[in-house]
Amino acid sequence: MLTRGAYSWLQKLPRETRETLFVLLVVAWVLMPQATQLPHWCTALASILLLWRGYLALYGRALPGRWWLAAVLVLTLASTWLVYGTLFGREAGVALVVLLLALKTLEMRTQRDAFVVFFLGFFAILTQFFQSQSLATAAYMLLGLLGLLTALVHAHMPGSKSRLRRAAITASRMAAFGMPLMLVVFMLFPRVAPLWSVAEEAPRARSGLAATMSVGSMADLALDDSIALRLRFEGPEPAGKALYFRGPVLSQFDGRQWTPMERRDRSPRPDNLQVQGKPLRYEVTLEPTANPWLLVLDATPEAPTQTDLQAEPTTDLQWLDKANPRDLRRYHAQSYLQFEYGPREWTPELRVFTLLPGGTNPRTLQWAAQLQADTAAPKGDASALSAIVLARLGSGDYRYTLSPGVYGADTADEFWFDRKAGFCEHIASAYVVVMRALGVPARLVTGYLGAQRNALDGYWTVRQSDAHAWAEIWQAGIGWIRVDPTAAVSPWRIGDATRLTTPLGPAGQLIGPAGYKMWAKARMAWEAVNNRWNQSVLNYGQSAQMDILKKLGFAAPGWEVLGYLLAGVMSTIALISATWAGLPRRRRDPWHTLLARARQRLTALGIRLPPCTTPRQMAQQAKTRWGDDAEGLQQWLLALEQCRYGKSHEATKVEHLRSTWRTLPWAKYEADARRRPTP
Amino acid sequence: MNPLTWAGAGFRRWWQARLRPTDFHQLTQRNVYILPTGPGLMLAATLLVLLLASINFQLNLGYALTFLLAGCSVVGMHMGHATLRGLHLQLVPPPAQFLDVAATLTVRIHNPSPRPRYGLGIALPSGTDWSWAEVPALGSAELKLNWVAPHRGMVTLPLLKAETRFPMGAFRVWTLWQPASTMWVYPRLEPSAPEWPAVQVGESGGAAVVARLAADAELDGLRGYRRGDAPKHIVWKKAAQAMETGSGALISRESRGTPTAEVWLDLANTGLADKEGRLSRLCTWVCRAESRGLRYGLRLPGRNIAAASGAEHQRQCLEALALC
Repeated sequence: MLTRGAYSWLQKLPRETRETLFVLLVVAWVLMPQATQLPHWCTALASILLLWRGYLALYGRALPGRWWLAAVLVLTLASTWLVYGTLFGREAGVALVVLLLALKTLEMRTQRDAFVVFFLGFFAILTQFFQSQSLATAAYMLLGLLGLLTALVHAHMPGSKSRLRRAAITASRMAAFGMPLMLVVFMLFPRVAPLWSVAEEAPRARSGLAATMSVGSMADLALDDSIALRLRFEGPEPAGKALYFRGPVLSQFDGRQWTPMERRDRSPRPDNLQVQGKPLRYEVTLEPTANPWLLVLDATPEAPTQTDLQAEPTTDLQWLDKANPRDLRRYHAQSYLQFEYGPREWTPELRVFTLLPGGTNPRTLQWAAQLQADTAAPKGDASALSAIVLARLGSGDYRYTLSPGVYGADTADEFWFDRKAGFCEHIASAYVVVMRALGVPARLVTGYLGAQRNALDGYWTVRQSDAHAWAEIWQAGIGWIRVDPTAAVSPWRIGDATRLTTPLGPAGQLIGPAGYKMWAKARMAWEAVNNRWNQSVLNYGQSAQMDILKKLGFAAPGWEVLGYLLAGVMSTIALISATWAGLPRRRRDPWHTLLARARQRLTALGIRLPPCTTPRQMAQQAKTRWGDDAEGLQQWLLALEQCRYGKSHEATKVEHLRSTWRTLPWAKYEADARRRPTP
Repeated sequence: MNPLTWAGAGFRRWWQARLRPTDFHQLTQRNVYILPTGPGLMLAATLLVLLLASINFQLNLGYALTFLLAGCSVVGMHMGHATLRGLHLQLVPPPAQFLDVAATLTVRIHNPSPRPRYGLGIALPSGTDWSWAEVPALGSAELKLNWVAPHRGMVTLPLLKAETRFPMGAFRVWTLWQPASTMWVYPRLEPSAPEWPAVQVGESGGAAVVARLAADAELDGLRGYRRGDAPKHIVWKKAAQAMETGSGALISRESRGTPTAEVWLDLANTGLADKEGRLSRLCTWVCRAESRGLRYGLRLPGRNIAAASGAEHQRQCLEALALC
């Protein structure tokens, strides 16, 4: 009822009002996602302008005068200048486009003004892609684009009636036919570097691994279900266990915060890295991050490869991207899960890994001294000492929990003796502290542990909640050994690569475990689609273009080849469509076709017809020839006449006539024709 | 004169001379022209800026947006061309008209294809006065154009222009069409023309009947209504009675002398000096005499038209005046 009322109300509005309201709706739709990104004053101003325009359109009021608009324009420019200090930066530009678009709707007087609104609308769509290029954004903006095109088409259908639906169909057809063209050009248009450098604003902080770790900071990450990276194995896949993705290595501790060591030198290769076994080959797609770390599995001796990627190693097995942080990064790497590295013999440089801040964790230090005294193990036997510490962790007194409460100053003391609960970073930090107290060089490694395989597309997903902290201790004769103390407390966290699952939230409890499973499945499907989108659309660049050229058999692919190919394909398409348009097509009126068919058939049956014969005349001729037998044919012919000249109903539709034509008693007429002597 | 304008005008003249005059104009690839419009060039500039932004910010979706818009424009170009292509334009020969009175040119547009055509406009090439229509699939539409003929006589119809900017306004698709029909344009009517002189000299030289008819002409008799009888001669009272009885027949008054009155309208006897004025006055008199049901003749230099009455006679007289 309500919708019908609203519909009829809409129908009654004059054409211009409907047109304006539609344009406003589309503009609002296009600008909506910007609302959260822009400063509040900007969003508010744009909304007020659009609402004002809607009010004017609905009540048929006059548009504001030029002076009004000029005043608002000056206000807009001034506030943009004040806030951003420029009018041309990216963020300032986005704000300006949004405001100008909203302002221009107040000045839709001539057709040229309307064009400006449409073109600014296209820009507004583009500016949204600065924020997000996800599949959802693309779909949303495609709708916005169709809306703009519909309004544009509607503006070119002059006439008294408003035909928004027709315009929408035309716009969709244009987009549908334009899509293949878009695909061809998208694939073949040479991707070049930015033509001039744009003042890049600092990338907005994204959650993810941090360069430092203060005890307690990773709890946020554990709740962050967003994707950190995806990988696809080229060749055999690992059993799913012990996929340690190495992030920053933290060696300096001030009692609360772990920080990486100040870099002393850059060695061309990781220290003494020796690998065994067969490598795992894989491709990583790293989600946008502000950090230069190229996350790879432990251990990766060769640099991750990708055109225009320059990776450099650090001494502690990490790989860094030399270039600035970019959006999505994709690279190939090969890693060996069995490896040894680090100095084999004691060097003075290892001393820094035994340092502890003075005056902290006294109880841990005391316990370490006692351990040292009690144990029979030699002083340098890191593995034996570690086994003792891990045995204590696995004794059952210690709990793995995401909410251990807020830790005080002596984090290791609190963990070992008071709270006895925590998650990876508490455990690993406390472990490293006690190992250092025992005189063993030890350090903290952060990164991600485990990955979940999406059965739909074979991609492995690593989420932010897979963030993990583990330890490395130095053992004479071997080098650095990975120890994961969290495994001693909570083996399931490590085993089977099961991700740390937070207990079902209120929503989860509502849908139950079965629903949760379904939800998880749906999420997997969605992520597979999203991943495909990332891989094939967002990550499509020069290297992918060259790959395609190579597959097409070009020996020396380059952008010239792309250019030739693009020009060739485009001219072929143009030629074909021009020929198609130019070909004289005899598209006959279906009614005439039927009439000609009837005429031909009757002539073949021996009825002579004058050059111009109406269906009614044919019916008479048939009647004189066959008498009552001609009844069906006669009715058909009269229906044919009705189809053209009478009121239309079901029996006189061309389709109906076409289908009933075959059911007429032709055999009877033919038998009759054979009996007659040929004239 | 600006040489460019001159060259342009020359080109236009040459182009229009090439057009074969026809009343039935079928639009094909050969006579439908297309060029980008101002907004079309603006759209091209917009696309260029979008492309630059996509390159500089390395936005793959920006590329997609730019190329999709470009693809839509190309498709729109074809759609616009297809809007005109294949249509049949038929000019309905216009009735004769007096000078300075706008004639209505009717163009019937037939669409033989199964897809409707939107946003069709027809105008004179110079004109800004567009009339718009849409033609349904397998149907037709009529467009009317007002046109004031430039001079009297037998006038060739003006060049017509059919245009569409459908669907995006980025391209102007048009065709030029020279109709073959001609149109009679009679001299200008003179609204405040005086009555003709009381006595006109007949062709034979004898005195003719005084043909001044007063509004209160003496009633002579009644007869049945004949086509062409002026409304004021109809006996409306009788007509109302006839309506009631259901016969619906109209009765006209018959004035005395009307059938026998013969008027000679002479170009030399209008009391005016300039030729156009005299023709105007004669033209007005012819119409007036016809509406009063008089028998009238026309005397022009080199041509006399014998007295008669009726629509055909009036047409003959008016055409003679138009050509004079």
